[in-house]
Amino acid sequence: MATIRGEQGSVQFETGGGSLATVVGTRSWSLTITKETYETTDHGDTFRNFVGGLISGEGTVELVYDPDATGQAAFIEDVVKVNDATDASFELFTTGSTSGTDSVAFAGIITDAEITSTVGELDVVTCSFVTSGTITSNLE
Amino acid sequence: MAAADLNTIRAVLESRLATELASAPVVPVVFHNMAFDPTPNSSWVQCLTSFGASEYLGQGLTSNSQNRVIGLITINVFSALGVGVGANYVIAKRIRDLYNRVIVSGVYFDAPIGPEVLAKASPEGFLQTQVRVTFEFIEEL
Repeated sequence: MATIRGEQGSVQFETGGGSLATVVGTRSWSLTITKETYETTDHGDTFRNFVGGLISGEGTVELVYDPDATGQAAFIEDVVKVNDATDASFELFTTGSTSGTDSVAFAGIITDAEITSTVGELDVVTCSFVTSGTITSNLE
Repeated sequence: MAAADLNTIRAVLESRLATELASAPVVPVVFHNMAFDPTPNSSWVQCLTSFGASEYLGQGLTSNSQNRVIGLITINVFSALGVGVGANYVIAKRIRDLYNRVIVSGVYFDAPIGPEVLAKASPEGFLQTQVRVTFEFIEEL
């Protein structure tokens, strides 16, 4: 058994003009992958039947804001990219940062960035994203 | 980056106090584990720096990661007995103003607590008040 704690994870990102690099200052990430289901129940069936359909994903990345932290500015500013051609790539790691290992990789769009500044607390940025195209799961 | 050097952080805190109290009116200040024999009916200050719990801030184990290092400065202000609290508070205000919501060399000082009058001074023979300031430092690995 090898359980994993959040501090083992990381997020890598590139905004379309380079290679994936760690977003320093990532506090947490989440990803929800959803598969639609289509009903295939026939007349006379006693139990409902379904077939799997289109797959999509969405999630969040939470950053402890630091304007000097590697990768943060590009990540946050992707939300204001106009005519976004979905050229950004994400790789979310449960542990480590070895490409293709213990991760989920996909192209996506940052759809929301919430910046929170509160007296006595560290500034935090929470970005939401949606996936576009193939989601590659390396969670072996 | 590297792990936090606790003595560097301590130096930031303590040198700030030592510099302030070395200016007129001068008040003797003593730090942890230093011998000191106070003059009766005089004013003097004791500064005790301690570090508390650290907590995770960012993902990544020993690289590209951050911790929040939290600490507390406890500053005891001693002054003569039987002459009221005014002189003591004058010193305490100097200390309070020194740290109040200040950011120095990456060390964040919170709003101070006190000065609180202690019912029983230690050592005895003085009026003792206490100013406490929590602080935090972001350790980048």
